[in-house]
Amino acid sequence: MRFLRRRSRKRACVVGLDGVPFGLLKTLAQRSVMPRTAAIIGEGGLKQMRASLPPVSSVSWSSFMTGANPAEHGIFGFTDVSSDTYQLRFPTFADLAVPTFWDRLGESGRRCAVINQPSTYPARSLPGALVSGFVALSLGKSVWPKEHLPALERMGYQIDVNTQKAREDLDGLLDDLDSTLETRRQAAAYFWERENWDYFQVVVTGTDRLHHFLWNAVEREDDPRHERVMGYYTAVDTFIGEMWDRFHKGGSADKEGEGFVLLSDHGFAGMRKDVRLNAWLRENGYLDYKAEEPTSVAEITPGTRAFVLDPGRVYLNVKGRFAKGCVEPEEAPALREELAGRMREMSFEGEKIISHVFTREEAFRGPKSALAPDLVLISRNGFDLKGTTKGKEVFASTHFQGMHTWGDAFVWSRLPVPDDPEIANLAGVIMEYLSG
Amino acid sequence: MAKGFTLWFTGLSGSGKSTLAEQVRDILLERGLKVEVLDGDVVRQNLSKGLGYSKEDRDINIRRIGFVCNLLTRNDVVAIAAAISPYKEIRDENRKLIGRFVEVYCKADLDTLKARDPKGLYEKALNGEIENFTGVSDPYEPPDKAEVVVDTAAEDEEASVAKIIGTLEQMGYIPAGDGRGYSEEEEESIKQRLRDLGYI
Repeated sequence: MRFLRRRSRKRACVVGLDGVPFGLLKTLAQRSVMPRTAAIIGEGGLKQMRASLPPVSSVSWSSFMTGANPAEHGIFGFTDVSSDTYQLRFPTFADLAVPTFWDRLGESGRRCAVINQPSTYPARSLPGALVSGFVALSLGKSVWPKEHLPALERMGYQIDVNTQKAREDLDGLLDDLDSTLETRRQAAAYFWERENWDYFQVVVTGTDRLHHFLWNAVEREDDPRHERVMGYYTAVDTFIGEMWDRFHKGGSADKEGEGFVLLSDHGFAGMRKDVRLNAWLRENGYLDYKAEEPTSVAEITPGTRAFVLDPGRVYLNVKGRFAKGCVEPEEAPALREELAGRMREMSFEGEKIISHVFTREEAFRGPKSALAPDLVLISRNGFDLKGTTKGKEVFASTHFQGMHTWGDAFVWSRLPVPDDPEIANLAGVIMEYLSG
Repeated sequence: MAKGFTLWFTGLSGSGKSTLAEQVRDILLERGLKVEVLDGDVVRQNLSKGLGYSKEDRDINIRRIGFVCNLLTRNDVVAIAAAISPYKEIRDENRKLIGRFVEVYCKADLDTLKARDPKGLYEKALNGEIENFTGVSDPYEPPDKAEVVVDTAAEDEEASVAKIIGTLEQMGYIPAGDGRGYSEEEEESIKQRLRDLGYI
């Protein structure tokens, strides 16, 4: 009886490719670097998608897994700032203020298997199984339920590549990407068989790491590592093909491809310069530090009127909101407008840096909007906005080759994804499909 | 904001109620909550001393435990009850009385319980040496809407405890995680990871 009921249920399978832009996916598919993906997306359904604001994985994936705006789920970045001490804090999965759609599926008896999902650390219970992704620290705290831990340990499951080593050893990074993908494959095969799931999800985060360190090798055919990097993409494609085959072999899809979803959480682009927004604020008299070489915004002077957290989150130091706020609440709207106007005009060698400026009201809707930044800036490709307090120079060069972008994530699905989608739309689409 | 709630373990003798109750108590105490456990076996030696195992006496016993749980709950204490509490009607009566009530059904099949039988009670009951033994000669009405169902015949203790704690976190009855965020050491590791990718 149970078996019959299970067969008639709809199932969904989602493969996430962290940081893969719409344009790159199309190009790699067309060039036969990703032939399986090309066949899947070939008949239509691929859409460009907006990431969250700001476009970082912690926020975007939180919006994906909840279907909510950051002002509802409460995750505004990899860091938050204490309103008392201005010290940075690092939100955990426990800070997610609303249930995931996996929790909601569980309410109707559906089970999920979710592998390498960023921003779910430490792992907590959910109806099914979870393996946390970035910024997961230890495997022991990344797995729920714990009964799966020995199997993952046996397969040598890697949470992530060694990003500390990557800077010095790019070939080592490529080896690391291959082995991490292999353990992701093994984990997917394991949970596919072990979990009685209705919703299956696995995220490949190696793509994001690759783009941070080796974007030039992705874009330039004359780069010495280009072939190797394309080989990595072909391996990712093979994995996508395996997931597709598995999904169809089990008779899981009611129609051809239905219930299978590919997506990324944000796009990527090559970068020319880091843009240190706190240095710009300092240079323009909005911010100062007590220390000569500050290590965090906790060292701003009481007279500081605004500061920035990564990547482009501007906070006004308003009385009542922050312990040492100096901006009168009634003066805040004018200051915000002034900053928005001036920052919109920032330029490098005559080239404008900022493409969009969103106010808090434009970007955030929900009960936690009071915790949101006052402005969110989005830059043009090539200019990576930073909230670092280091350095007095506004523009800096680094070893990173790629930067996150906002408007060019992608989604492929035969489900009714709205036109001009944003990542928060997908939870509702998947929920509706599985509930139908 | 109310902090108290009642965590009510129900299930047959030997199904793991007391063991899980103690483990959950220890976690909640570590998180700085005030916790009291009302174990059915202990209550029958004092608060309900003299009561037998007829339906009437069982109902009185469970109502008494519910009464104490309610007092504790409304005074911001986490009350953990671990009692067979075989009748659904009385459990639901306590649920209604207390409000902030989380039912944990410790499920285990009779074969498993007979095999465990730490007190030798099933053997005696099956031999007719004990009357009114729940699950053998007395009924047990499983809950149909328990907030948590732990299958103690199939899952290990750690998984059951995680399920219970996870549910309490999801319901907002206890702070999520360990309530302290990351340790200093973990925070340093996270900072390093974020730096490695240029996120801070």
